Amino acid sequence: MQDRQPTGTGEQAAPARSDDRWNNKYPHLGTAPIPIEPYISREYFALERERIFRHVWLNVGRIEDIPHPGDYVVVALPVCRTSVVVVRGKDGQLHAFHNMCSHRGNKVVWNQNGSCQHFTCTFHGWSYGLDGGLRFVPDEARFCNLKKDKLGLTPVAVDTWAGFIFIHLDPNPTETLRAYLAEVVPGLEGYPFSELSTTCFCWRAEIKANWKVAQDAFQEGYHLPVRHKASAADAFTSETNPHCHFLSLDLYERHRRTSSYGNLNYQPTPVAGKAYQFGSSVVVDRDIALDNLPAGINPTRRSDWSIDTFWIFPNFSIFPSNGTYLTHHFWPMSEERTIWETHTYFPKAENAGQKFSQEYSKVLLRDILMEDGPTLEHMQDVLASGAKTHMPLQHQEICVRHAYSVVEDYVGFYAGR
Amino acid sequence: MAESGLPVAFSALQPLLGWALATEAERTHKRQTSEMADIQAFYTAMLAHLEDILVYLNQFPLEHMPPHAQQLMDMTLSLAEIAPAVELFGQPREGDTFDPFRFIPHHQ
Repeated sequence: MQDRQPTGTGEQAAPARSDDRWNNKYPHLGTAPIPIEPYISREYFALERERIFRHVWLNVGRIEDIPHPGDYVVVALPVCRTSVVVVRGKDGQLHAFHNMCSHRGNKVVWNQNGSCQHFTCTFHGWSYGLDGGLRFVPDEARFCNLKKDKLGLTPVAVDTWAGFIFIHLDPNPTETLRAYLAEVVPGLEGYPFSELSTTCFCWRAEIKANWKVAQDAFQEGYHLPVRHKASAADAFTSETNPHCHFLSLDLYERHRRTSSYGNLNYQPTPVAGKAYQFGSSVVVDRDIALDNLPAGINPTRRSDWSIDTFWIFPNFSIFPSNGTYLTHHFWPMSEERTIWETHTYFPKAENAGQKFSQEYSKVLLRDILMEDGPTLEHMQDVLASGAKTHMPLQHQEICVRHAYSVVEDYVGFYAGR
Repeated sequence: MAESGLPVAFSALQPLLGWALATEAERTHKRQTSEMADIQAFYTAMLAHLEDILVYLNQFPLEHMPPHAQQLMDMTLSLAEIAPAVELFGQPREGDTFDPFRFIPHHQ
Protein backbone atom coordinates (compact mmCIF):
# COMPACT_ATOMS: atom_id res chain seq x y z
CA MET A 1 0.00 0.00 0.00
CA GLN A 2 2.88 2.33 0.58
CA ASP A 3 3.96 2.41 -3.06
CA ARG A 4 0.65 3.19 -4.69
CA GLN A 5 0.43 6.33 -6.72
CA PRO A 6 -2.41 8.73 -6.25
CA THR A 7 -5.31 8.25 -8.59
CA GLY A 8 -8.43 10.21 -9.25
CA THR A 9 -8.23 13.53 -10.95
CA GLY A 10 -5.03 12.65 -12.76
CA GLU A 11 -2.21 14.69 -11.34
CA GLN A 12 0.76 13.16 -9.66
CA ALA A 13 0.64 13.50 -5.92
CA ALA A 14 0.04 17.21 -5.89
CA PRO A 15 -3.29 18.37 -4.56
CA ALA A 16 -1.88 21.89 -4.74
CA ARG A 17 -3.90 22.41 -7.85
CA SER A 18 -4.78 25.57 -9.67
CA ASP A 19 -8.23 25.54 -8.11
CA ASP A 20 -7.06 25.35 -4.52
CA ARG A 21 -6.94 29.12 -4.27
CA TRP A 22 -10.33 28.85 -2.65
CA ASN A 23 -10.92 32.56 -2.24
CA ASN A 24 -11.27 32.73 -6.03
CA LYS A 25 -14.12 30.23 -5.90
CA TYR A 26 -15.98 32.30 -3.30
CA PRO A 27 -15.24 35.93 -4.14
CA HIS A 28 -18.23 37.19 -2.14
CA LEU A 29 -16.33 36.38 1.06
CA GLY A 30 -13.54 38.78 0.15
CA THR A 31 -9.92 38.44 1.13
CA ALA A 32 -9.63 41.07 3.84
CA PRO A 33 -8.45 40.23 7.36
CA ILE A 34 -11.35 39.35 9.66
CA PRO A 35 -12.04 41.16 12.95
CA ILE A 36 -10.98 39.75 16.31
CA GLU A 37 -13.85 41.36 18.18
CA PRO A 38 -16.31 38.49 17.61
CA TYR A 39 -13.92 36.19 19.46
CA ILE A 40 -13.59 38.29 22.59
CA SER A 41 -16.60 40.58 22.88
CA ARG A 42 -19.24 39.98 25.55
CA GLU A 43 -21.68 42.04 23.49
CA TYR A 44 -21.05 39.84 20.44
CA PHE A 45 -21.58 36.73 22.54
CA ALA A 46 -24.88 38.07 23.84
CA LEU A 47 -26.04 38.52 20.25
CA GLU A 48 -24.95 34.99 19.34
CA ARG A 49 -27.01 33.77 22.28
CA GLU A 50 -30.09 35.67 21.14
CA ARG A 51 -29.84 35.36 17.39
CA ILE A 52 -28.19 32.00 16.68
CA PHE A 53 -28.55 29.27 19.26
CA ARG A 54 -32.22 29.78 19.99
CA HIS A 55 -33.07 29.72 16.30
CA VAL A 56 -31.25 26.76 14.78
CA TRP A 57 -31.23 22.98 14.99
CA LEU A 58 -28.57 21.72 17.40
CA ASN A 59 -27.17 18.21 17.43
CA VAL A 60 -27.36 16.60 20.86
CA GLY A 61 -26.29 13.04 20.14
CA ARG A 62 -27.28 9.87 18.38
CA ILE A 63 -30.23 7.52 18.58
CA GLU A 64 -27.91 4.77 19.88
CA ASP A 65 -27.56 6.88 23.05
CA ILE A 66 -31.21 6.27 23.97
CA PRO A 67 -32.35 3.06 22.24
CA HIS A 68 -35.15 1.96 24.60
CA PRO A 69 -38.37 3.56 25.90
CA GLY A 70 -37.53 5.53 29.04
CA ASP A 71 -33.88 6.09 28.06
CA TYR A 72 -32.93 9.74 28.35
CA VAL A 73 -30.01 12.15 28.11
CA VAL A 74 -29.75 15.61 29.57
CA VAL A 75 -27.97 18.13 27.38
CA ALA A 76 -26.60 21.27 28.98
CA LEU A 77 -27.05 24.36 26.80
CA PRO A 78 -25.38 27.09 28.83
CA VAL A 79 -25.50 29.39 25.81
CA CYS A 80 -29.30 29.25 26.03
CA ARG A 81 -29.27 29.20 29.83
CA THR A 82 -31.11 25.90 29.91
CA SER A 83 -30.67 22.17 29.82
CA VAL A 84 -32.80 19.88 27.74
CA VAL A 85 -34.03 16.37 28.48
CA VAL A 86 -34.27 14.15 25.41
CA VAL A 87 -36.17 10.94 26.12
CA ARG A 88 -37.52 8.00 24.16
CA GLY A 89 -41.18 7.72 25.04
CA LYS A 90 -43.25 4.61 25.63
CA ASP A 91 -44.40 4.99 22.03
CA GLY A 92 -40.78 4.76 20.84
CA GLN A 93 -40.82 8.39 19.71
CA LEU A 94 -38.35 10.99 20.90
CA HIS A 95 -39.51 13.85 23.10
CA ALA A 96 -37.53 16.81 24.37
CA PHE A 97 -38.23 19.31 27.15
CA HIS A 98 -36.59 22.04 29.10
CA ASN A 99 -35.29 20.43 32.27
CA MET A 100 -37.45 22.56 34.51
CA CYS A 101 -40.28 21.66 36.83
CA SER A 102 -43.50 23.53 36.07
CA HIS A 103 -44.03 24.24 39.75
CA ARG A 104 -41.14 26.37 41.00
CA GLY A 105 -38.44 25.69 38.49
CA ASN A 106 -36.27 23.01 39.99
CA LYS A 107 -34.34 20.76 37.61
CA VAL A 108 -36.48 17.68 37.09
CA VAL A 109 -33.59 15.43 36.04
CA TRP A 110 -30.24 15.64 37.76
CA ASN A 111 -28.40 12.75 36.08
CA GLN A 112 -26.68 13.21 32.72
CA ASN A 113 -28.39 10.10 31.37
CA GLY A 114 -30.39 7.13 32.51
CA SER A 115 -33.64 5.27 32.09
CA CYS A 116 -36.94 5.79 33.91
CA GLN A 117 -40.70 5.41 33.71
CA HIS A 118 -41.47 9.01 34.68
CA PHE A 119 -39.67 12.13 35.86
CA THR A 120 -40.23 13.19 39.46
CA CYS A 121 -39.06 16.52 40.81
CA THR A 122 -37.05 16.11 43.99
CA PHE A 123 -38.29 19.40 45.45
CA HIS A 124 -42.03 18.78 46.03
CA GLY A 125 -42.54 15.52 44.14
CA TRP A 126 -44.36 16.70 41.02
CA SER A 127 -44.23 13.87 38.51
CA TYR A 128 -44.25 13.91 34.70
CA GLY A 129 -44.76 11.22 32.06
CA LEU A 130 -42.18 10.50 29.37
CA ASP A 131 -44.33 12.63 27.06
CA GLY A 132 -43.80 15.59 29.42
CA GLY A 133 -47.38 15.65 30.71
CA LEU A 134 -47.92 16.47 34.39
CA ARG A 135 -49.19 13.27 36.01
CA PHE A 136 -49.13 13.75 39.77
CA VAL A 137 -49.04 16.63 42.24
CA PRO A 138 -48.75 15.85 45.97
CA ASP A 139 -51.45 17.54 48.04
CA GLU A 140 -53.05 18.70 44.81
CA ALA A 141 -56.29 19.75 46.53
CA ARG A 142 -54.50 22.61 48.26
CA PHE A 143 -53.79 24.33 44.94
CA CYS A 144 -56.42 26.69 43.61
CA ASN A 145 -57.56 26.01 40.05
CA LEU A 146 -54.44 24.04 39.14
CA LYS A 147 -54.65 23.32 35.39
CA LYS A 148 -52.57 20.16 35.22
CA ASP A 149 -53.10 19.75 31.49
CA LYS A 150 -51.39 23.12 30.94
CA LEU A 151 -48.49 22.40 33.26
CA GLY A 152 -46.47 19.83 31.38
CA LEU A 153 -42.73 20.24 30.86
CA THR A 154 -41.98 22.96 28.30
CA PRO A 155 -41.44 21.20 24.99
CA VAL A 156 -38.51 21.58 22.64
CA ALA A 157 -38.63 20.43 19.02
CA VAL A 158 -36.73 17.22 18.31
CA ASP A 159 -36.05 15.33 15.08
CA THR A 160 -33.44 12.97 13.66
CA TRP A 161 -31.45 12.59 10.48
CA ALA A 162 -29.22 9.57 9.76
CA GLY A 163 -29.48 8.66 13.43
CA PHE A 164 -28.32 12.09 14.66
CA ILE A 165 -30.68 13.71 17.15
CA PHE A 166 -31.25 17.43 16.77
CA ILE A 167 -33.27 19.77 18.94
CA HIS A 168 -34.64 23.25 18.29
CA LEU A 169 -35.60 25.48 21.21
CA ASP A 170 -38.57 26.79 19.25
CA PRO A 171 -41.13 24.01 19.78
CA ASN A 172 -42.60 24.83 16.37
CA PRO A 173 -39.60 25.77 14.20
CA THR A 174 -40.33 27.40 10.88
CA GLU A 175 -37.63 25.34 9.20
CA THR A 176 -37.67 21.54 9.30
CA LEU A 177 -34.51 19.66 10.22
CA ARG A 178 -34.40 18.16 6.74
CA ALA A 179 -34.52 21.62 5.18
CA TYR A 180 -31.91 22.87 7.61
CA LEU A 181 -29.51 20.07 6.63
CA ALA A 182 -30.38 20.06 2.93
CA GLU A 183 -27.00 21.50 1.92
CA VAL A 184 -24.99 18.68 3.49
CA VAL A 185 -27.37 15.76 3.03
CA PRO A 186 -26.16 14.86 -0.49
CA GLY A 187 -22.60 14.65 0.78
CA LEU A 188 -23.39 12.39 3.73
CA GLU A 189 -26.18 10.32 2.23
CA GLY A 190 -25.38 6.63 2.30
CA TYR A 191 -22.54 6.83 4.80
CA PRO A 192 -22.94 3.82 7.16
CA PHE A 193 -23.46 5.80 10.35
CA SER A 194 -25.60 3.11 12.00
CA GLU A 195 -23.11 0.31 11.35
CA LEU A 196 -20.24 2.45 12.59
CA SER A 197 -21.96 3.76 15.70
CA THR A 198 -22.00 0.63 17.83
CA THR A 199 -18.85 1.64 19.71
CA CYS A 200 -18.44 5.20 20.88
CA PHE A 201 -15.67 6.89 22.81
CA CYS A 202 -16.24 10.39 24.15
CA TRP A 203 -14.02 12.98 25.77
CA ARG A 204 -15.13 16.28 27.22
CA ALA A 205 -13.10 19.28 28.33
CA GLU A 206 -13.98 22.74 29.55
CA ILE A 207 -11.59 25.18 27.93
CA LYS A 208 -10.89 28.85 28.36
CA ALA A 209 -11.51 29.91 24.78
CA ASN A 210 -14.32 31.33 22.71
CA TRP A 211 -16.28 28.60 20.92
CA LYS A 212 -15.24 29.99 17.52
CA VAL A 213 -11.57 30.09 18.47
CA ALA A 214 -11.87 26.43 19.36
CA GLN A 215 -13.89 25.36 16.35
CA ASP A 216 -11.81 27.31 13.86
CA ALA A 217 -8.70 25.35 14.82
CA PHE A 218 -10.27 22.26 13.31
CA GLN A 219 -11.39 23.98 10.13
CA GLU A 220 -8.00 24.24 8.48
CA GLY A 221 -5.03 21.94 7.91
CA TYR A 222 -2.54 24.78 7.65
CA HIS A 223 -1.52 24.32 11.29
CA LEU A 224 -1.11 20.56 11.05
CA PRO A 225 2.54 20.27 9.89
CA VAL A 226 3.58 22.71 12.61
CA ARG A 227 1.29 22.08 15.56
CA HIS A 228 1.09 18.31 14.99
CA LYS A 229 4.63 17.89 13.69
CA ALA A 230 5.39 14.81 15.77
CA SER A 231 1.96 13.23 15.91
CA ALA A 232 0.26 13.60 12.55
CA ALA A 233 2.37 15.43 9.96
CA ASP A 234 3.79 12.23 8.45
CA ALA A 235 0.35 10.81 7.77
CA PHE A 236 -1.38 13.95 6.51
CA THR A 237 1.36 15.85 4.67
CA SER A 238 4.11 14.94 2.24
CA GLU A 239 6.74 16.58 0.06
CA THR A 240 4.07 17.15 -2.57
CA ASN A 241 1.55 18.55 -0.09
CA PRO A 242 3.66 19.96 2.71
CA HIS A 243 1.02 22.39 3.99
CA CYS A 244 -1.90 19.97 4.12
CA HIS A 245 -3.91 21.62 1.36
CA PHE A 246 -7.48 20.37 1.00
CA LEU A 247 -8.35 18.05 -1.85
CA SER A 248 -11.69 19.78 -2.26
CA LEU A 249 -14.10 21.96 -0.37
CA ASP A 250 -17.56 23.40 -0.75
CA LEU A 251 -18.98 26.32 1.16
CA TYR A 252 -22.75 26.47 1.46
CA GLU A 253 -25.14 29.07 2.80
CA ARG A 254 -24.60 27.98 6.43
CA HIS A 255 -22.68 24.73 6.38
CA ARG A 256 -19.53 23.60 4.59
CA ARG A 257 -17.55 20.49 3.78
CA THR A 258 -13.89 19.72 3.14
CA SER A 259 -11.89 16.74 1.94
CA SER A 260 -8.43 16.15 3.40
CA TYR A 261 -5.24 14.71 2.04
CA GLY A 262 -3.52 11.57 3.25
CA ASN A 263 0.08 10.63 2.54
CA LEU A 264 0.22 7.36 0.61
CA ASN A 265 3.90 6.99 1.45
CA TYR A 266 3.30 7.22 5.19
CA GLN A 267 5.33 4.56 6.98
CA PRO A 268 3.39 3.38 10.03
CA THR A 269 5.12 3.07 13.35
CA PRO A 270 5.47 -0.50 14.70
CA VAL A 271 2.34 -0.32 16.85
CA ALA A 272 0.34 1.49 14.16
CA GLY A 273 1.34 -1.25 11.76
CA LYS A 274 0.09 -3.97 14.09
CA ALA A 275 -3.10 -2.02 14.72
CA TYR A 276 -3.68 -1.96 10.98
CA GLN A 277 -2.82 -5.65 10.61
CA PHE A 278 -5.39 -6.67 13.22
CA GLY A 279 -8.02 -4.04 12.58
CA SER A 280 -8.02 -0.85 10.57
CA SER A 281 -6.52 2.59 10.79
CA VAL A 282 -7.35 6.03 9.51
CA VAL A 283 -3.69 6.77 8.90
CA VAL A 284 -2.80 3.56 7.12
CA ASP A 285 -5.80 1.91 5.54
CA ARG A 286 -7.17 3.63 2.51
CA ASP A 287 -7.35 0.71 0.10
CA ILE A 288 -11.10 0.19 0.13
CA ALA A 289 -12.06 3.81 0.51
CA LEU A 290 -12.74 4.57 -3.11
CA ASP A 291 -14.95 1.57 -3.82
CA ASN A 292 -16.96 1.36 -0.63
CA LEU A 293 -17.63 4.95 0.30
CA PRO A 294 -20.68 6.80 -0.97
CA ALA A 295 -20.08 9.33 -3.73
CA GLY A 296 -20.38 12.32 -1.42
CA ILE A 297 -17.43 11.22 0.71
CA ASN A 298 -14.03 11.88 -0.86
CA PRO A 299 -15.86 13.38 -3.84
CA THR A 300 -12.70 13.79 -5.93
CA ARG A 301 -12.16 10.02 -5.62
CA ARG A 302 -8.46 10.43 -5.00
CA SER A 303 -6.61 7.60 -3.32
CA ASP A 304 -4.42 10.09 -1.43
CA TRP A 305 -7.39 10.92 0.78
CA SER A 306 -7.77 10.59 4.53
CA ILE A 307 -10.95 12.12 5.91
CA ASP A 308 -13.80 14.47 5.07
CA THR A 309 -15.40 17.03 7.33
CA PHE A 310 -18.92 18.38 7.34
CA TRP A 311 -19.45 21.54 9.37
CA ILE A 312 -23.05 21.86 10.45
CA PHE A 313 -23.87 25.33 11.67
CA PRO A 314 -23.35 26.47 14.26
CA ASN A 315 -21.29 24.15 16.47
CA PHE A 316 -21.36 20.56 15.20
CA SER A 317 -19.02 18.74 12.84
CA ILE A 318 -18.85 15.23 11.43
CA PHE A 319 -15.58 13.74 10.16
CA PRO A 320 -16.37 10.62 8.12
CA SER A 321 -13.43 8.44 7.19
CA ASN A 322 -12.94 4.88 6.08
CA GLY A 323 -14.53 2.59 8.67
CA THR A 324 -14.68 5.17 11.45
CA TYR A 325 -15.91 8.68 12.01
CA LEU A 326 -15.70 11.32 14.68
CA THR A 327 -17.67 14.38 15.71
CA HIS A 328 -16.93 17.59 17.55
CA HIS A 329 -19.31 19.81 19.49
CA PHE A 330 -18.26 23.21 20.78
CA TRP A 331 -20.80 24.38 23.34
CA PRO A 332 -20.43 28.05 24.21
CA MET A 333 -20.57 28.97 27.89
CA SER A 334 -19.43 32.57 27.71
CA GLU A 335 -17.35 34.70 25.36
CA GLU A 336 -14.27 32.92 26.69
CA ARG A 337 -15.48 29.55 27.95
CA THR A 338 -16.43 26.49 25.91
CA ILE A 339 -17.27 22.86 26.47
CA TRP A 340 -15.44 20.82 23.86
CA GLU A 341 -16.80 17.34 23.19
CA THR A 342 -15.32 14.79 20.84
CA HIS A 343 -16.94 11.47 20.01
CA THR A 344 -15.22 8.82 17.92
CA TYR A 345 -17.20 5.89 16.55
CA PHE A 346 -16.28 2.41 15.43
CA PRO A 347 -18.10 -0.77 14.47
CA LYS A 348 -18.36 -3.27 17.31
CA ALA A 349 -14.98 -4.93 17.90
CA GLU A 350 -15.39 -8.66 17.35
CA ASN A 351 -12.11 -9.78 18.86
CA ALA A 352 -9.06 -8.65 20.80
CA GLY A 353 -7.14 -7.56 17.70
CA GLN A 354 -9.91 -5.23 16.60
CA LYS A 355 -10.27 -3.90 20.12
CA PHE A 356 -6.55 -3.17 20.26
CA SER A 357 -6.71 -1.48 16.87
CA GLN A 358 -9.58 0.75 17.98
CA GLU A 359 -7.80 1.58 21.22
CA TYR A 360 -4.71 2.68 19.33
CA SER A 361 -6.79 4.77 16.90
CA LYS A 362 -8.63 6.58 19.66
CA VAL A 363 -5.55 7.16 21.78
CA LEU A 364 -3.72 8.61 18.78
CA LEU A 365 -6.72 10.82 18.00
CA ARG A 366 -6.87 11.98 21.62
CA ASP A 367 -3.17 12.78 21.70
CA ILE A 368 -3.43 14.77 18.47
CA LEU A 369 -6.42 16.69 19.80
CA MET A 370 -4.66 17.45 23.07
CA GLU A 371 -1.96 19.22 21.08
CA ASP A 372 -4.65 21.68 19.98
CA GLY A 373 -5.79 22.47 23.50
CA PRO A 374 -3.05 24.88 24.61
CA THR A 375 -3.15 26.79 21.33
CA LEU A 376 -6.82 27.55 21.87
CA GLU A 377 -6.30 28.89 25.38
CA HIS A 378 -3.16 30.85 24.49
CA MET A 379 -4.96 32.46 21.57
CA GLN A 380 -7.89 33.49 23.72
CA ASP A 381 -5.59 35.05 26.29
CA VAL A 382 -3.76 37.09 23.70
CA LEU A 383 -6.66 38.00 21.42
CA ALA A 384 -8.29 39.65 24.42
CA SER A 385 -5.27 41.93 24.86
CA GLY A 386 -6.54 44.20 22.11
CA ALA A 387 -3.03 44.47 20.71
CA LYS A 388 -4.38 43.62 17.28
CA THR A 389 -7.84 44.11 15.80
CA HIS A 390 -7.81 41.79 12.76
CA MET A 391 -6.30 38.52 11.58
CA PRO A 392 -5.20 37.70 8.02
CA LEU A 393 -6.35 34.41 6.51
CA GLN A 394 -5.00 32.49 3.53
CA HIS A 395 -6.84 30.46 0.91
CA GLN A 396 -6.59 27.24 2.94
CA GLU A 397 -8.23 28.99 5.90
CA ILE A 398 -11.31 29.95 3.95
CA CYS A 399 -13.50 27.83 6.24
CA VAL A 400 -12.58 30.14 9.11
CA ARG A 401 -13.54 33.11 6.91
CA HIS A 402 -16.80 31.43 5.93
CA ALA A 403 -17.62 30.53 9.53
CA TYR A 404 -17.09 34.13 10.57
CA SER A 405 -19.29 35.30 7.71
CA VAL A 406 -22.17 32.95 8.52
CA VAL A 407 -22.13 33.86 12.21
CA GLU A 408 -22.07 37.54 11.34
CA ASP A 409 -25.00 37.06 8.95
CA TYR A 410 -27.05 35.84 11.91
CA VAL A 411 -25.67 38.27 14.46
CA GLY A 412 -25.55 41.46 12.39
CA PHE A 413 -23.05 43.08 14.72
CA TYR A 414 -21.35 44.98 11.93
CA ALA A 415 -24.48 45.62 9.86
CA GLY A 416 -24.99 49.33 9.49
CA ARG A 417 -21.71 50.21 11.20
CA MET B 1 -4.87 -7.57 40.35
CA ALA B 2 -2.23 -10.16 39.56
CA GLU B 3 -3.81 -13.07 41.41
CA SER B 4 -4.21 -15.37 38.47
CA GLY B 5 -1.07 -14.33 36.63
CA LEU B 6 -0.57 -14.33 32.89
CA PRO B 7 -0.89 -17.24 30.45
CA VAL B 8 2.21 -19.44 30.61
CA ALA B 9 3.31 -18.52 27.11
CA PHE B 10 3.61 -14.89 28.20
CA SER B 11 4.99 -15.39 31.69
CA ALA B 12 8.01 -13.29 30.75
CA LEU B 13 5.66 -10.28 30.92
CA GLN B 14 4.65 -11.07 34.49
CA PRO B 15 6.78 -8.24 35.99
CA LEU B 16 4.77 -5.77 33.90
CA LEU B 17 1.38 -6.70 35.35
CA GLY B 18 1.14 -3.24 36.84
CA TRP B 19 0.12 -2.13 33.34
CA ALA B 20 -2.98 -4.38 33.36
CA LEU B 21 -5.43 -1.53 33.84
CA ALA B 22 -9.08 -1.74 32.91
CA THR B 23 -9.96 1.85 31.98
CA GLU B 24 -8.52 4.57 29.78
CA ALA B 25 -8.41 6.93 32.75
CA GLU B 26 -6.23 4.47 34.69
CA ARG B 27 -3.98 3.83 31.69
CA THR B 28 -3.59 7.54 31.03
CA HIS B 29 -2.70 8.13 34.66
CA LYS B 30 -0.08 5.38 34.54
CA ARG B 31 1.45 6.81 31.35
CA GLN B 32 1.52 10.34 32.64
CA THR B 33 3.03 9.44 36.01
CA SER B 34 5.65 6.90 34.83
CA GLU B 35 9.29 7.46 34.01
CA MET B 36 10.05 7.29 30.31
CA ALA B 37 12.53 4.46 30.92
CA ASP B 38 9.73 2.34 32.42
CA ILE B 39 7.38 3.20 29.57
CA GLN B 40 10.07 2.27 27.06
CA ALA B 41 10.77 -1.03 28.82
CA PHE B 42 7.08 -1.92 28.78
CA TYR B 43 6.83 -0.96 25.11
CA THR B 44 9.83 -3.06 24.10
CA ALA B 45 8.69 -6.12 26.00
CA MET B 46 5.11 -5.94 24.74
CA LEU B 47 5.95 -5.19 21.14
CA ALA B 48 8.17 -8.26 20.94
CA HIS B 49 5.16 -10.44 21.78
CA LEU B 50 2.33 -8.34 20.36
CA GLU B 51 1.44 -10.44 17.36
CA ASP B 52 1.46 -13.66 19.41
CA ILE B 53 -0.57 -11.96 22.13
CA LEU B 54 -3.28 -10.81 19.74
CA VAL B 55 -3.47 -14.18 17.98
CA TYR B 56 -3.79 -15.81 21.41
CA LEU B 57 -6.41 -13.38 22.67
CA ASN B 58 -8.45 -13.61 19.47
CA GLN B 59 -9.53 -17.12 20.48
CA PHE B 60 -11.58 -15.75 23.38
CA PRO B 61 -14.90 -13.95 23.21
CA LEU B 62 -14.10 -10.31 23.81
CA GLU B 63 -16.74 -9.78 26.49
CA HIS B 64 -16.04 -13.02 28.39
CA MET B 65 -12.30 -13.48 28.60
CA PRO B 66 -10.85 -15.68 31.32
CA PRO B 67 -9.14 -13.54 33.99
CA HIS B 68 -5.60 -14.33 32.88
CA ALA B 69 -6.44 -13.39 29.28
CA GLN B 70 -8.26 -10.25 30.38
CA GLN B 71 -5.14 -9.05 32.15
CA LEU B 72 -3.13 -9.57 29.00
CA MET B 73 -5.84 -7.74 27.04
CA ASP B 74 -5.65 -4.80 29.41
CA MET B 75 -1.87 -4.76 28.99
CA THR B 76 -2.21 -4.55 25.20
CA LEU B 77 -4.55 -1.59 25.70
CA SER B 78 -1.84 0.02 27.84
CA LEU B 79 0.56 -0.58 24.96
CA ALA B 80 -1.84 1.34 22.71
CA GLU B 81 -1.94 4.06 25.37
CA ILE B 82 1.82 4.53 25.59
CA ALA B 83 2.70 3.88 21.93
CA PRO B 84 2.51 7.59 20.93
CA ALA B 85 4.72 8.48 23.90
CA VAL B 86 7.43 6.15 22.62
CA GLU B 87 6.97 6.30 18.86
CA LEU B 88 6.02 9.94 18.35
CA PHE B 89 6.91 12.12 21.33
CA GLY B 90 9.87 10.47 23.08
CA GLN B 91 8.30 11.52 26.37
CA PRO B 92 5.07 10.72 28.23
CA ARG B 93 3.43 13.66 26.50
CA GLU B 94 4.37 16.32 24.00
CA GLY B 95 5.88 19.30 25.82
CA ASP B 96 3.25 21.92 25.04
CA THR B 97 0.11 19.84 25.16
CA PHE B 98 -3.19 20.00 26.96
CA ASP B 99 -3.31 18.72 30.52
CA PRO B 100 -4.40 15.11 29.86
CA PHE B 101 -6.41 15.06 33.06
CA ARG B 102 -8.60 17.88 31.74
CA PHE B 103 -9.59 15.90 28.64
CA ILE B 104 -11.94 13.60 30.46
CA PRO B 105 -12.99 10.26 28.99
CA HIS B 106 -16.70 9.49 29.30
CA HIS B 107 -16.12 5.84 28.47
CA GLN B 108 -14.17 2.90 29.93
